Amino acid sequence: MRRRVLAALLALAVPVGSATPSPAPTVAAAADLRFALAELADRFKAATGREVRIAFGSSGNFAQQIENGAPFELFLSADESYVERLAAKRLARDAGVLYAIGRIVLFTPLGSPLRSDPSLADLRASIGDGRLKRFAIANPEHAPYGRAAREALEGAGLWTSIRPLLVLGENASQATQFATSGSAQGGIVPLSLARAPEVARLGTAVLLPETTHRPLRQRMALMRSAGPVAVEFYAWLQTKPARDVFARHGFALPGEG
Amino acid sequence: MSLRIALVHDGPPLDVDLALPAGEIVGIVGPSGSGKTSLLRAIAGLLRPRRGRIAFDHDVWLDTAHRVDRPTRERPIGYVSQHYGLFPHLSALGNVACSLVGLPPAERDAQARARLAQAHVAGLEDRRPRELSGGQQQRVAMARALARNPRLLLLDEPFSSVDRSTRKRLYVELKRLHAELAPTVLLVTHDLDEAAMLASHLCLMQRGRIVQHGPVREVMTRPATSAAARLLDLPNLFEGAIEGTSAARRLLFGPHRLEVPDSGAFAAGRTIAWTILPTRVLLHRVDRPSHGERENPVPATIADLVVLGDDVIARLAPEGMPQARLTLKVSQHVAERNALAVGRGVTVSLLRDAIVPLDAKEPGAA
Amino acid sequence: MDWVALRLSLALAAVTLLVLLPAGVVAGRWLATTRSRARPWLEALTALPLVLPPTVIGYYLLVALGAQSPLGGAFERLFGAPLAFTFTGLVVASVIVNIPFAVQPLQRAFAAIPQDVREAAQCCGLTRWQAFARIELPLAWPGVLSAAVLTFAHTLGEFGVVLMVGGSIPGETKTVAIAIYDRVQAFDSAGAGAMALLLLVVSFATVALSYVLSERWLAPARR
Repeated sequence: MRRRVLAALLALAVPVGSATPSPAPTVAAAADLRFALAELADRFKAATGREVRIAFGSSGNFAQQIENGAPFELFLSADESYVERLAAKRLARDAGVLYAIGRIVLFTPLGSPLRSDPSLADLRASIGDGRLKRFAIANPEHAPYGRAAREALEGAGLWTSIRPLLVLGENASQATQFATSGSAQGGIVPLSLARAPEVARLGTAVLLPETTHRPLRQRMALMRSAGPVAVEFYAWLQTKPARDVFARHGFALPGEG
Repeated sequence: MSLRIALVHDGPPLDVDLALPAGEIVGIVGPSGSGKTSLLRAIAGLLRPRRGRIAFDHDVWLDTAHRVDRPTRERPIGYVSQHYGLFPHLSALGNVACSLVGLPPAERDAQARARLAQAHVAGLEDRRPRELSGGQQQRVAMARALARNPRLLLLDEPFSSVDRSTRKRLYVELKRLHAELAPTVLLVTHDLDEAAMLASHLCLMQRGRIVQHGPVREVMTRPATSAAARLLDLPNLFEGAIEGTSAARRLLFGPHRLEVPDSGAFAAGRTIAWTILPTRVLLHRVDRPSHGERENPVPATIADLVVLGDDVIARLAPEGMPQARLTLKVSQHVAERNALAVGRGVTVSLLRDAIVPLDAKEPGAA
Repeated sequence: MDWVALRLSLALAAVTLLVLLPAGVVAGRWLATTRSRARPWLEALTALPLVLPPTVIGYYLLVALGAQSPLGGAFERLFGAPLAFTFTGLVVASVIVNIPFAVQPLQRAFAAIPQDVREAAQCCGLTRWQAFARIELPLAWPGVLSAAVLTFAHTLGEFGVVLMVGGSIPGETKTVAIAIYDRVQAFDSAGAGAMALLLLVVSFATVALSYVLSERWLAPARR
């Protein structure tokens, strides 16, 4: 009896998740892909019968985790540099491919005193007259969309004055969550998230010109540990049906200017 | 048959070297802090002395010089600590059964019940310790300690937390148990009277050392040192020079010259400490004139008088020694017959055989 | 409702408990009875996870368990799977983070056993194991229960360390706490709310059960 209990204990100590034979590969995806990639994964499953498991977060965090041995098989970054860094360290099979170009919007939740002005003139005014108390962006340190938001604000000469009012999201999703929650009067968030029905109904989004920030060149690459399903998904994401889904979620496609 | 103990330890300090007779009740008496409990614990194996040897007959339990240290559970002892240490989560039966783990369950149960019955707590088997009175707890603890048929029973102030009437009954039960089972018993107590009542052998301890030990009567009537006399709470402690020849040895007591036996203790030219038991200070009857041939007569005045139960304790100021006090104890009947009262003059005799010489130097066995 | 995440959380809590309780009993008892001079230092060490922010613990665990570390590297070579970002890695992290919750109640419980009771066990002739199993453990039982409940509930709620050491890998390291965080970011308030409520109910039930049981067992003693 004692021996059986011991065996059970030892069995439990072995990793629970990895005990199942060849589970679905894990994909690390930038937060702005939340709605787009969820739909793509469903379509992939419908088309091939195979599943992928997706973890959403900030591209910078994922790059860090992968460097520390996180077992992701495919990485969809919102920024090229992270993928290139991993490729240089031989953690990615190669430098991957460009899969989308991202855009940012100024989002104002319902009832916000801010006006949807893509020139950010109203935003400047609102800082001055006190309408703006909190403004949400993703953390520029490790989220590409945060970096783009910063560049747009710096370009409009608002960075120094808006800085004390910033609420930083861990990633682009969290920034969007802050921007829609009502506790901030607005924010700069990815177009792909603002277009989603769940977000769109919470306020108004207006596209900010591409010229206001460095392009959000979103690159993806297979990691060294990638298995056949991941490889298949990677290839599938580059097919026309997949690219249509990206386009529908607000991404510009590479090679189409 | 004997129990030989030699121990040296530092914290708490212990320096003991003694051989005790087996099969008897030995009282270990001393003030708090004298090391009595530590001695008991060392014998039980709960305290490991820096240096020591403990052997019961030829069975060596501890010998630091030869790296022998038998663990407590392998020493044939029973131990009752001051607050009994009963297992609170077990019934009385369960407590006693713990001493009998080696036995099959049915036999264990039967023997445990028998022990509880022997300790006069049959019928309380299923009660938890908190549901028992102090006296009942003590009996259960005793039953548990005796269940293994120990050769040595160690009792640490086992009667201190019970009321007087229960205590008297427990004394009797202990004596009966001892008569029946005959283990060697070491009884630690701070109560000299209790030790005198129960024990046949007495050890006086102070500051980790044995001041004196021996048969009870002998230790109590013939202390060997001033330290022993103080531990026995003897009031008549005096010092005096000895003079005279071997035919006529005299001990000076103020202006009085007391006859003393011609022995090594009373060597001429020495100054010794001495005592006399209050019960051995003989009162001359007032209705009979004192005769010159009475030994060591000392006239005195009664300085104070205390009635304690059936006894009268009188403190006398001997003639020529107004500051000194000689304590005398007589029965109330004698006191009344002699009409003792404060201020009265009386004469007492300090018989030469009642004078106990004390070695004022190092304490040692008698 | 992310049932996979819930199963993962419960499995993590259960495995942590299975690993930590026996170790906690041993450690707690030793700390309670030792006279070693190192004791205060060791006590401080066991209390450390209580005062450190989860990110500090997470950081050091990543350094110690990550694929680049000697420990993580060795593990990966032995078992083929990495230590960080896996369930096993989470178990390691969870065990470390819960050390004070397991050890402290156990230490208190063993220390509360009176010295004369402990010594009486020896004087009854009980072997060390018998004294432990029949006397000490039953008397320390409320401490065992307390340690188990605290560890279980605390593991269910663990977030910061799990996020840092485990990532958020569905079916592997995405516990309920992480899943709630994730649902909020996915604008799925219904999903987040449902799981949060479930976690609240489970945690409350666990803690309440322990208080009810200890009341039932200890109440007679208070009479």
